[in-house]
Amino acid sequence: MAEWVKVGSAGEVPDGEVLAYTAGDRQIAIANVEGDLHAFDDLCTHQQCSLAEGELDGTTIECACHGSMFDVTTGEAIQGPAVDPVGVYQVAEEDGELRVRVEEE
Amino acid sequence: MTTFVVVGAGEAGGTAAATLREEGFDGDLILIGAEPMPPYERPPLSKEYLRGESEHVYVRPPSFYEDHEIDARFGTRAERVNVTDSVVELEGGERIAFDQVVVATGSRNRRPRIEGLEMPGVYDLRFAPDADAIKEAAKNGSKAVMVGMGFIGAEVTASLRHLGLEATVIEATSKPMERVLGPALGGAIEALHRDHGVEMIFNDGAERFEGDGRFEAMVTREGRRIEGDFAVVGVGVEPVTDVAGDGLPVDNGILVDGSLRTSAPNVWAIGDVARHDHPVFGPIRVEHFDNAMKMGEQVAKNMLGAEEAFDDAHWFWSDQYDANIQMAGFATEWDDMVVRGSIDDLSFSAFLLKDGQLLSTFSMNRKFDVRRSMPLIQARLHPDRDLLADPEFDLRQLRPPKEEPAA
Repeated sequence: MAEWVKVGSAGEVPDGEVLAYTAGDRQIAIANVEGDLHAFDDLCTHQQCSLAEGELDGTTIECACHGSMFDVTTGEAIQGPAVDPVGVYQVAEEDGELRVRVEEE
Repeated sequence: MTTFVVVGAGEAGGTAAATLREEGFDGDLILIGAEPMPPYERPPLSKEYLRGESEHVYVRPPSFYEDHEIDARFGTRAERVNVTDSVVELEGGERIAFDQVVVATGSRNRRPRIEGLEMPGVYDLRFAPDADAIKEAAKNGSKAVMVGMGFIGAEVTASLRHLGLEATVIEATSKPMERVLGPALGGAIEALHRDHGVEMIFNDGAERFEGDGRFEAMVTREGRRIEGDFAVVGVGVEPVTDVAGDGLPVDNGILVDGSLRTSAPNVWAIGDVARHDHPVFGPIRVEHFDNAMKMGEQVAKNMLGAEEAFDDAHWFWSDQYDANIQMAGFATEWDDMVVRGSIDDLSFSAFLLKDGQLLSTFSMNRKFDVRRSMPLIQARLHPDRDLLADPEFDLRQLRPPKEEPAA
């Protein structure tokens, strides 16, 4: 069952930036693309580098370790070496909180 | 029906064939590879795969080729690309007529003249079965003798140390990768390996391998005798240009222009085998994964009419122990090196400049600088030294504005 989990405060991810959060035992990255938030697994499916440390260009995040690129809106791996997609999550700002919707472990 | 043939099914050839389909090519498409496996990634062979942490990573899922009506001939060697007749001649005599062909035959390991090189227990690494053999030897052994401290030698050494083996390395120059990196940056690689207990001997080379039917020791030119359970030789590669025959110009690789086309209008070359005319660096042959992938994508688009120049700044990574190493650009010589961070602490980026122009960036454990410097290299910028040296300065601020396509 999925539930909304508070990970931070509303408005704290600046436009064009990506920050890493912890939700339960998951590490989740949240990107702000021109005001729209996108949440996805922070760990690259190639070698588990933090994608939040990578470079956001539009809706593409590029891993800083080995250059894999993912679409932050779908999680799709759009350039290798990563092959597998990252998971994506619903994200919302409500009541001053930054929340993501994750499956309960 | 139009027929496109891709000769060579490594990273570059596999990507080219897949991209042709992904870009909508609906003619006959034949992919010929000497290896029996579908195209797979080689970087893990010296790292995660060798350490037993990963299985093979395929360029596309193995079912991709059949699913996309690509006539994949794995385990088939092409003997010649006959430019005059536009025919690929296969081992065994079959001839395949093409409208366009891509040569992506890669590179092969140099086989230096060392007595005993063919002896059991002496390995080199290029293909998946080579990695399997070294993995097996590592399981049964406790001490490895490494010949050559290039990137492959350094990565294999790091992986073997990770698996708990002792390693002694012999290297002909005075620092690891000295010809590419110079003494200061080569020294950082040396320090990294020394910190991890690797014994390194420089300015010496292997003269012969000894053993009673199987490797037992290496004797060096300087007369050292280094015992071990097995040896791994990694002394560089050479392009596999055999298929070029006399129809294609070859000079340290098959020569291609900025769009990856050879002197024959319907013949292209990509990956390790291609020496392409780079707008910043001039003719250059690149032996890295990222280049193979990007050339594979670009050649497919160009075969379908895009006619775009390939101007990638060239980038690669090398993971050794817990260090992330990256490099971009290309510099055979430089007259200035600006360092940000600390070489002594093995956390730095080094910018190599000639006449003020940034040609190449190398980093160890600083993940951003190299990739951020690539647009600067492509634009032939002469960046301010103080900005380069400032660890807090974001190189993206130096990027030239993107050119808007003409309306």
